[in-house]
Amino acid sequence: MVRDLFTFAGFNENTQIVWFKIIYSKEPGSLSLITDFLEAENAFIMFAHLDNLTQKAGEYSVFLELKTDVDPEEFARNIKDLNVVSEVEYGISKYRMITSVDFPLYVVGVRGVIARALTIVDIIKTLFQNAPHAEGLLTISGLKGGIHSAKYFKSIMPLDDSNYGSVIAELFRGVGWGILEIECDPKTYEGKVIVKDSFIADMYGAADQPVCAFMSGYFAGYLTEYFGKAISVREVSCKATGKKFCEHIISLAPSGGTGQEYQVRGDTR
Amino acid sequence: MIRQPNVILGNDELLVTMGKKGDLLGFFYPRRDHAQHVDESVACIHTGEKLLWTNDSDWHSIQNYIEDTNIVSTKLYHDSGIRISILDLVHPDVPVLIRRFKVQSQKKISGKFFYYSNFNVGETSNKNSGFCDSDVRLLVQYRQNYYIGIQSLPEFAEWQIGKAMDTIWWTNSKYDMEDGKLQRNNEDIGNINNAAGWDLELEANGANEFVILIGAASSRSLLYKRMNELSKMSLEHIFEKTREYWVMWLSKKKVLKMPGLEGYENLRQELFSAYNRSLLTLYLLQDREYGSFVAAPEFDANFEKCGGYGFCWNRDTAEIVLALKHSGYPEYCDMFFKWSIGTQLHDGSWFQRYWLNGDIAPSWGNFDYSTQIDQTGSTLYAMDIYYRILEGLKKVEFLDGVWISVLRAAEYLMKRTKSGLHESCTDLWETYHGIFTYTNASIYAGLIGASHLAEENGEDGMARRWRKRAEFVKQATIDRLWLQEGYFAKGIINDKLDKTVDASILSAYIPFGMLSPKDAVEKDMIQFMIENIRKKLSVPVNQSYGIKRYENDSYIEGNPWAVTTLWLSEAMFSLALDLPREAEERYDETVDKLTSEGIKYLKCVLAGATSTGLLPEQMDKSTGKPAWAIPLGWSESLMLDNILLLDKICARKAGSEEQS
Repeated sequence: MVRDLFTFAGFNENTQIVWFKIIYSKEPGSLSLITDFLEAENAFIMFAHLDNLTQKAGEYSVFLELKTDVDPEEFARNIKDLNVVSEVEYGISKYRMITSVDFPLYVVGVRGVIARALTIVDIIKTLFQNAPHAEGLLTISGLKGGIHSAKYFKSIMPLDDSNYGSVIAELFRGVGWGILEIECDPKTYEGKVIVKDSFIADMYGAADQPVCAFMSGYFAGYLTEYFGKAISVREVSCKATGKKFCEHIISLAPSGGTGQEYQVRGDTR
Repeated sequence: MIRQPNVILGNDELLVTMGKKGDLLGFFYPRRDHAQHVDESVACIHTGEKLLWTNDSDWHSIQNYIEDTNIVSTKLYHDSGIRISILDLVHPDVPVLIRRFKVQSQKKISGKFFYYSNFNVGETSNKNSGFCDSDVRLLVQYRQNYYIGIQSLPEFAEWQIGKAMDTIWWTNSKYDMEDGKLQRNNEDIGNINNAAGWDLELEANGANEFVILIGAASSRSLLYKRMNELSKMSLEHIFEKTREYWVMWLSKKKVLKMPGLEGYENLRQELFSAYNRSLLTLYLLQDREYGSFVAAPEFDANFEKCGGYGFCWNRDTAEIVLALKHSGYPEYCDMFFKWSIGTQLHDGSWFQRYWLNGDIAPSWGNFDYSTQIDQTGSTLYAMDIYYRILEGLKKVEFLDGVWISVLRAAEYLMKRTKSGLHESCTDLWETYHGIFTYTNASIYAGLIGASHLAEENGEDGMARRWRKRAEFVKQATIDRLWLQEGYFAKGIINDKLDKTVDASILSAYIPFGMLSPKDAVEKDMIQFMIENIRKKLSVPVNQSYGIKRYENDSYIEGNPWAVTTLWLSEAMFSLALDLPREAEERYDETVDKLTSEGIKYLKCVLAGATSTGLLPEQMDKSTGKPAWAIPLGWSESLMLDNILLLDKICARKAGSEEQS
């Protein structure tokens, strides 16, 4: 997920952070030539990423900490002068906050952004405090995201009963939303999702009611798209209410006839 | 959420606003201002694989009115080769919108045609109730005495009543359509939505038709009866009846001739169309029961970005009813002045704005210092102008009816202008507190009008007193607000002269006639004002120039306004007609120049209309496209005034050419 992104904390007035995107020809030892050059120039590699563009060419994205007296433009020219290098781009992370070699970022095939968890939770809180049907609204919003993710994964890899759970778990960990444990019987569509360290519950503060409707909706969308059946997911226990972790129950959504609302909510009329 | 319409239609009880792709944005019943029952109402096709919402960006649309009617044609084209023609009309006698969808496809389709609606009956999503009566195939959503129903030809084959915004998302009709079939839930309550579905089996280049009726009623039984009766009638019959209704209504208009506009390619035809469209639009903005007008159909009901437009302002309406009178529809004056008598406040003034039934509307002008005195001036002025065209018994009856109201309003203006200029209040743009040229000009016109009415009523003493005060207001305005730079200051704000150039200073000439071109000095003042406004407020747009309200205007990006641009063109046309021939050295040249310059501004506004010809409040300064309130009654009325003046200029010129 964090393909060519680097996040820095702290500040050093004697150095600068510069990224270089180097397109090179994939001959034996060509990458070593580049890294040897960087070492010889005392360029400290903070983070690097390799992308095999074609059989013949590769992309080497590297974040370097350079002394402030080094001219990045000249440094880029020197890299370009290496026989194996065909193109070099560079950029400076002036304030050392967040820099991406390729702008914009992409998450599950579409544009993504980085936000503080609190920023999102503030939006959720504002909805709960001011909007009617906030829980429904968040469910529907999450649903859309979950449907999109499942569609995307289906388009890039074989998604089946053996991996559909681990794929979404990896996604949640990658984007920092939480740590998932999913159990669901693909025959009965019943099961549960445990979310440890849910970013919503962690940042929301104490609440009387579960607050992760957005995630319930997300799971519902993901599973509905994957199974091809309308799946209900509801949060029955939430870390924000004082529990150790959040728990979402999975079941097949009732369909047809009347009184669906009461079936799922278990209320009596 | 703010969504501006591209087209409107309706009848006396129903006003419908629509987007460019035929999606319903507003469904106002039984009044133009209340209640607005729809959040979303739109067609959708399930291709067998996926849903294609007809208001998505994948569709291209062409939308226009059927000529001289309020019947709408929308054509939608999808990249996949699907084409939908929508014909929308509202039956002239009953509040029912009839929508004919003709679906064509280049490729074979085996799918569904869906019609989805999220109604907020009674203007709220709370405590709604919905059901599908499967025996008669009628979908109904209701709250208290508001009933909205959907019926169709052919009958819909499947349906869903579901929760619009709930955690039980699978009952939501919008999501229920995803798999291409509806669950047929018969009833639900709360924040609900609904969908109806038909099989869509199309061979390549084949076509299917679906007629959907969306009706409103005050009771369940009336809704059933209405829908039942209407569904028996043929669409052709309803179409002809509706078309005939609008054509007949338009036939009462003052006929335009516009001779001698040959030099302007297509302009003559364009003006004929704009004239008819403005008349047809104003019909839809008026409340037939009360005689009041909405400034524009409401599109910001939550006041998210402005104070809303779905109310009646005396300022706007006074201009609207006079424009309608000039166009051949004097009855609108009668109705509005009756409404005004009932809505006048105890102190003789009129409030900032009203609900159409006369109740005072949400306001930020509740005090003497925040009220807008010009609304009282405008109303009095309009009453007198109307009185002047009446004859015989009608004249007597009208004066008798309005006299007490005139007396109270004039005395209110006297009370607020003891030192000549008016006491501090809010300006016409509803932004500043202070003393304003526009407001003083309106007071002048109001008192002159009242004085005339008093004279006619045999009250010579009052007539003298009010006229004297009017002249005092005029003199004080000139003495204190006229600048040597050649224009009136905007006003006095925080006790300081505000020299901002504001297009509303034109009101000293049109409409309020405080300055007259017959007086040589005043004629020069008018010409200076016109020149300064052109110089300081022109914004290049639509291959011409639009006029913004005032320097440094920041409301909605400081766009040029249709109203201010049309004021300027109207001032030019009026001056071309009013210029005394003997006092002008190069009379013909000056008249020609004023006329051609006025036409440029007029064309700028015409180019800023929607594809259907509706005039907005503003034109986007970057794109020239219609912006903010659409359609704005005030803009429509000024378009009528402009066209009538231009017609007069053309007629006069043709006459003088014939003579020579």
